[in-house]
Amino acid sequence: MRWPRGVRARLAGALVLLVAATSLVLGVGATAFVDARLHQQALSDAAAQATFDLTVTVPGRQLPDEPTVDDVIRSGLTDTFRRRNVESLIDLGAGETVKSSDALSDLLERLPADVPARVGRGELAYAWLDVGTAPSLVVGGLAPGGDLAVYFVRDVAEISQAVGQLRVVLLVGAAVLILVALVTARTLARGILAPIEEAGRTAERIERGDLLARVPVTSHDEFGTWADRFNRMTDTLADSIRRLEVAQHQNRRFVADVSHELRTPVTALVAEASILREHLDAMPHDTRRTAELLVNDTGRLRDLVEELMELSRFDADAEEAVLERVDLGKLIETVRDARSPKATFQAPAKPVVIDADPRRLERILGNFLDNAREHADDKDVQIELDPSPPDEIVIAVTDRGPGVPEDRLETIFDRFTKVDPSRSGGSSGLGLAIAAEHAALMGGYLQAMDRDGGGLRIELILPKDVARSLPSGDASAT
Amino acid sequence: MDATILLVEDDPSIREVTAIGLRSAGFTVEVAADGRAGLDRYAAGGIDLVLLDVMLPRMDGLEVAREIRRTSTVPIVMLTARADTIDVVVGLEAGADDYVRKPFEVPELVARVRAALRRGSGASSGSGDPAFDGTPLRLGPLTIDLQGRRVTRDGRDQEIALTRTEFDLLVDLARHPGQVLGRDVLLDRIWGYDYLGDSRLVDVAIGRLRAKIENDPSAPELILTVRGAGYKSAR
Repeated sequence: MRWPRGVRARLAGALVLLVAATSLVLGVGATAFVDARLHQQALSDAAAQATFDLTVTVPGRQLPDEPTVDDVIRSGLTDTFRRRNVESLIDLGAGETVKSSDALSDLLERLPADVPARVGRGELAYAWLDVGTAPSLVVGGLAPGGDLAVYFVRDVAEISQAVGQLRVVLLVGAAVLILVALVTARTLARGILAPIEEAGRTAERIERGDLLARVPVTSHDEFGTWADRFNRMTDTLADSIRRLEVAQHQNRRFVADVSHELRTPVTALVAEASILREHLDAMPHDTRRTAELLVNDTGRLRDLVEELMELSRFDADAEEAVLERVDLGKLIETVRDARSPKATFQAPAKPVVIDADPRRLERILGNFLDNAREHADDKDVQIELDPSPPDEIVIAVTDRGPGVPEDRLETIFDRFTKVDPSRSGGSSGLGLAIAAEHAALMGGYLQAMDRDGGGLRIELILPKDVARSLPSGDASAT
Repeated sequence: MDATILLVEDDPSIREVTAIGLRSAGFTVEVAADGRAGLDRYAAGGIDLVLLDVMLPRMDGLEVAREIRRTSTVPIVMLTARADTIDVVVGLEAGADDYVRKPFEVPELVARVRAALRRGSGASSGSGDPAFDGTPLRLGPLTIDLQGRRVTRDGRDQEIALTRTEFDLLVDLARHPGQVLGRDVLLDRIWGYDYLGDSRLVDVAIGRLRAKIENDPSAPELILTVRGAGYKSAR
């Protein structure tokens, strides 16, 4: 489940980026706007105050014409201004000044050159500059009479303080917004991904074979539409699978019925042929050959019908393993003696005894030996019993026949497989498929490989603990 | 051998060819086409062995076997459709001594019929044994009269009714007290199978025998199972 995390991260990233960019643009804009407005306000306030002071306050002190420094000091103008938190510098011309604070000593030199010039012409002029450490607004004007140039110096630190506070507020706001964006992204992602994850779980159930699993359709959005389509697709698939299963079931049922119906006439045929065989010698030559063929073909028909019935029972799950203690070496010897006496077998010195179904083992080994006899003319057939793998026992039959091409090795356990039809004699091609079914019933399996030096090697691999590997553990040992 | 065999089989072809085969082997053959007719014919008497199809109209072979066993120990051989299913066990538990799997070849059937007839005739065990000296065999509280083929329990007069197969099995085990007899050995000695006999024949017959002679068949004291090997009688 890697991709939901990806969607979550991408959604969160996008939202945070959006909020951050918006906050930045709005913050910078707001700060600049407020800053400009505050400066403008301060300036117009200062200008109005300066005009008032120059036209009302200063003339009100009734200074003499061409006042001296002492006159100005005595008039207390600077103290008056100072009480309003306005520092001031009064320029009497010819380098004589009266100032409310020593910090203003170099004010005139630091003012841009056009400010005193414009003041000299009788205009109001202003400049922003730092006085001491405080950012200040300097507004200058000429008092009536033209003797005194008065420069009002206002501390405007509050403006930058206010802007600074605004900036902090905006930053905190942005941080809060980003947090909100993250939470929103999480919630949104959960909302979007929850149905997707649910759909994922549904798909997993379907994968495991639960054809009834459906995605819940909980919304009318794109996802709801998708879920609906997905469910319709699953309906179609489930329907097809059910139809195929029914068809396969009917097919197998048909095979079972056919072979069952064939059994009675085949039983009669086999009995009849067996009597006929006893009397072959008494028959005229032509009739005798025909009768021989009839006897042989009856045998083939019998084998085919029996094998089909056997497979039908596996297909119908009507088979189960009946376990008892089995000495494998002894069992192999018995089957070998009965089915293929020329085959060589060396029983291990220590008996190999496991819980298994001896009838199924006999059938598997018998089919192995029949296969070897058909394809390799019974020559040089070898049976091996190898109990050395840790959890498994291998029973192998090897022959010196033509072997099987590598690309066909996989298929020799399929039904009706005849690798070389010209050599298969009367065989139906079902023997190894049946052996594979018997092996599976005991929790084992078959495998085929080339034998070194030509020929085929077929192995039965059985778990040492057959009982534990059975699905239901139905071990009815006697 | 002029034994009379009752053949109960519903398919006319199988019935006819089987009868031909058995007659040419020297037997007298009576036939019946369904279970009810078979039972009636058996009741009429003179039958030495019953050859019984499992699937029969009117009354199936298992029921016929159970019905016959209520009154008789005559050898019964079942003709079963399948060798590797519960059918066989059910047939044996119903009282059959042996079974022949369909499709069968006539010589094979004749061999099974002969083996079943030989049991109890003295050829396979018991009185035919040259070492036989006429003294009855003992197994726990049982007295086995080999000549009269009678088994009695101490303190009771009534004979325990055993089929010939069960009797021979008991005699074989009782003669070798404490010695383990493998299923393959018993199959060979009692049923006449040299190889690849069906060991369920032995297991079911032992079960039926125990039901008749043991006090508690689920905790046998006379015939003991040796896991993975076979059976032995108590010493």
